[in-house]
Amino acid sequence: MYRIRFHGRGGQGMKTASRILGSAFFRAGYEVQDAPRYGAERRGAPIFAYVRAAREPINERGVIAEPDLVIVADESLVGIAAAGVCQGLSERSVLLINSHEDVATWTHRLNLAGPVLVLPAREAVADRAELPFAGTACAGAAAVLVGVIPRDGLEAAVREELGSLPQQVIDQNVAVALHAYDEMRDHAGLVREAPTRSAKDYEPPAWLEPVFEDARHSAPAIHAAATSVQVRTGLWRTLRPVIDYDRCNKCWWVCSTFCPDSCISVTDDGVPEIDYDHCKGCMICVAKCPPHAIGAIPETDARDAALTGEPS
Amino acid sequence: MKESVLKRMKDLPSSHLLGAGTPMCAGCGGLEALHEIYDQVGAKSVFVNAAGCMTLLATYPFTPFRGSWLYTAMASAPAGAQGVRDALDILIDSGRLPPDEDLATVVLTGDGAAYGMGLSATSGAIERGLDFLYICYDNEGYANTGQQASAATPHGAQTSTTTLGYAGYKKDLFGIWAAHRPTYVATVIGAEPLDLARKVQKAMSLAGPRLILALAPCPTGWDFDPQYTADVGRLAVQTGIWPLKEYVGGEVVHTKAPKQRLPVEEYLRLQGRYAHLFEAGGQAGLIDEIQARVDAYWDGVER
Amino acid sequence: MSRELLTGNGAAAWGARLARADYVPAFPITPQTEIIETLGQWIDAGDMPGRMVTLESEHSVLTAAGAAAATGVRVFTATSSQGLLYAMEMLYTVAGWRVPFVLVNVSRGLAAPVTLESDHNDIMAARDSGFLQIHCATCQEVLDGVLMAYRLAEDERVRLPAIVNLDGFYLSFTREPVDIPDPAAVDRFLPGFDPENLAFRASQPISQAVAVLGGSPYSYFRYETHLAALNALHTYADIAQDFAAEFGRSYEAVENYHADDADIVFVMLGSFATKARDAVDRLRASGERVGLLRPRVYRPFPADDMRRLLAGKRAAIVVDQNLSVGKGGVLHAELASVLYGIPKAPAALLSFVGGLGGRDISAEEFFEMVTVARQAIADGVTPPPRLLYTEDELRELRKLQAVAEVERRELGGKR
Ligand SMILES: Cc1ncc(C[n+]2csc(CCOP(=O)(O)OP(=O)(O)O)c2C)c(N)n1
Ligand code: SF4
Ligand SMILES: [Mg+2]
Repeated sequence: MYRIRFHGRGGQGMKTASRILGSAFFRAGYEVQDAPRYGAERRGAPIFAYVRAAREPINERGVIAEPDLVIVADESLVGIAAAGVCQGLSERSVLLINSHEDVATWTHRLNLAGPVLVLPAREAVADRAELPFAGTACAGAAAVLVGVIPRDGLEAAVREELGSLPQQVIDQNVAVALHAYDEMRDHAGLVREAPTRSAKDYEPPAWLEPVFEDARHSAPAIHAAATSVQVRTGLWRTLRPVIDYDRCNKCWWVCSTFCPDSCISVTDDGVPEIDYDHCKGCMICVAKCPPHAIGAIPETDARDAALTGEPS
Repeated sequence: MKESVLKRMKDLPSSHLLGAGTPMCAGCGGLEALHEIYDQVGAKSVFVNAAGCMTLLATYPFTPFRGSWLYTAMASAPAGAQGVRDALDILIDSGRLPPDEDLATVVLTGDGAAYGMGLSATSGAIERGLDFLYICYDNEGYANTGQQASAATPHGAQTSTTTLGYAGYKKDLFGIWAAHRPTYVATVIGAEPLDLARKVQKAMSLAGPRLILALAPCPTGWDFDPQYTADVGRLAVQTGIWPLKEYVGGEVVHTKAPKQRLPVEEYLRLQGRYAHLFEAGGQAGLIDEIQARVDAYWDGVER
Repeated sequence: MSRELLTGNGAAAWGARLARADYVPAFPITPQTEIIETLGQWIDAGDMPGRMVTLESEHSVLTAAGAAAATGVRVFTATSSQGLLYAMEMLYTVAGWRVPFVLVNVSRGLAAPVTLESDHNDIMAARDSGFLQIHCATCQEVLDGVLMAYRLAEDERVRLPAIVNLDGFYLSFTREPVDIPDPAAVDRFLPGFDPENLAFRASQPISQAVAVLGGSPYSYFRYETHLAALNALHTYADIAQDFAAEFGRSYEAVENYHADDADIVFVMLGSFATKARDAVDRLRASGERVGLLRPRVYRPFPADDMRRLLAGKRAAIVVDQNLSVGKGGVLHAELASVLYGIPKAPAALLSFVGGLGGRDISAEEFFEMVTVARQAIADGVTPPPRLLYTEDELRELRKLQAVAEVERRELGGKR
């Protein structure tokens, strides 16, 4: 059985990627399972989707713990432990990252036992409408890596899954998928089906019998204020608002008032400051700032500039 | 009733009470309104919530609130507020709780709950004179489940259950509340923060049933780029589609009537849910109908 | 203490009054209405200091009840049948909040067809909700059950809401002599409710009943609710002892009526069990060694007690006043799961479904059930479940069907 996981952000087309790959497998005569996995988070938040494909009926269900192939549509997720990109990777699993950086950099950075590949990313995306192409590209790359999906099967799957979109958009997506397929052709068949798990030598689950804890502790209640600040929603961002303080005229903090996420605070002398740990990158401040003192730059560029894997 | 001390934009708070890090969508117009409202309501409050997007604000162990919170169910948040309010009154009246431990009782629901499933509970609470503030963030659909049509969906809008455009007409919740003769009813929008803050402040200075009905542009459900949340909101007001008004003491007053109304087209055009109205050979007549309805409303106001 | 004639509803109201319930959210439904009317009149007359509010539905009643308990007051409410089902979403919900309060359910059959009379399908529908359940057989037990239910629900080893169940008509509207305890004695037995850190206060922000993400935290919270309910068994035993010490009436989790030396035992819930008691007396008078076991506490299920008390019996006769459509009697199924595999389990576990929609169960029917059980023991074969329903009843029904012109419909609507 092939077990494949796609990681991306809400809005990058991960569900579609898994469906394209699922359909492509199905057309190639495989039994298939594909599904997205959502949390409470929404557009911009890390999400994943997965595909299983096998020659026999599939009985396994749910999240894939030990993937043969992991594809990351958004390289900024790799450094985020909570995104779980590297979960379950072994020496035989392939990691493919859609990235601006090269294989050597990633191999060095991650120090994984298994192979690491890079699907060269398109130019930094400043237009959010472009994001969904990342999913199509990833599906195209996955299709060639498993080695059992023909090029025309991939094309048919893209057309089938995007059927409700305008023809021109479908054609663009087909081109993106096939381009990725061709780009990764050297690695065709690199991904292998995992051997089935043995019932003989296995690690038994460390079950325990939960003990009673009184309701003061075991009721689903939070006994504190504003704990949500521990959630770093800044990781959702694909675009970063940047204040040009030379142009900021210290108005009545328009940006701070309109920011839905309480992410812009204003110092005593009227200077706004953006909390990048939490800013989701909606860009309302960019749209509303009266003197246009706030600009938008792609998050990847901002991160490269900061020379860190994660936003500050 | 104390007159608002909010005279100009500079009087609005520059730091905010509601914590960051919520799971709401980037650019959520409901959250934009809520964070403005929360600055006025304050942390001495308990928010009683019905099922909707905002239910996930408090997801174990994270909450953005500095005060308290109780999630109930989709239909009965006002009844939850009744229980909390009555219990606090009982405890304070019987001397078991010092009065400074009291909390403002606030209901927070979406339009699906406010206009539909929870309307019976709301009507009951108003009729019983419950001392509570009801905040409805109206994103004009069941957004949390993927934006299906609700009783607040406007005529012609596409939703995931009305792909050809909603055939019904948005219910007049302001009017339904006003017909109950409560203490206070107001429409607000996050894109008009001073008007909003004044109204919430006024509502907080009153007792009895009070509604703050906030139109909540929803980038996900209405299909527009999140950066335009405040612009969509401003256009809702300037086209006259979302009249900013309040009901107090039996009178309805429009607080921010647009002097020169913009054509509704400018509001509709920004949103994917109305894209079909602009397609060649589409339902262009609908734009005229929507315009005519808005005009008729304001004709009635101006008369 | 005084001894007075009270209906089951009156006894329930007295229980709430003596417990000093602060808050009574209410909604009327037959045969429960008398409870909230009585409380309303006492409150209006100043005889009881609580506050009552009539809401717009039982769904709202349960929401308000849970919310008030979550704020730290003692809450009482009552409903029945359609009302209990209308509130069902909130039964599960407020149990998950871990808020203690008492709900009296006056059992009544469920629509359709709509009826006012009693059976246990309503309360069985609440079986898995997380509410504790105490089932009463007499009006005295109703009053005492309400007091015990508060102690149980509020105990820190438990902290769950509780239902006290009584049968419509057979108890609700039936007067019996009831000891009304001294308020001072009740105060000793049941001190005021302290919500500890689970309450809304300006000085201590709390987010109650929040969402969880993922099955793992959900499993923890749900299972803790289960463990709390299981704790209620030994907690109940302690409380029953205190109750006996204070009031001289002892209520074990399972009523044991001549079961110790019996070889055939009836198992039943609620007020019809007193009919079984009567049958046991008469059967014993004619030399049959029979007995009765009646779980008073039904949630948590007193599994160990039932195993112990039924070990070595030759047959158990379960009379279910409910019907799980497509399966059969609920108590029978639960008992089977509890007895399966234990040594000395009764060889025959018979199922009878009776008393649906308030249909009476006659003494002769109890006698006959024992005859059937003896046959089962002799044959080594347990007969299939049986509905208690007679030839006479079917004959009467046929007359009704004739008036309803059932046959005409069968002929495709032609005259
Ligand atoms: C009784 C019940 N039915 C259905 C649902 C599923 N549900 C959860 S949120 C929601 C939509 C609520 O809509 P609205 O009140 O407008 O809030 P929004 O999701 O738009 O924030 C629905 C239908 C539910 N929670 N409870
Ligand atoms: S779906 Fe709409 S209302 Fe819900 S969180 Fe997202 S933007 Fe806000
Ligand atoms: Mg909504």
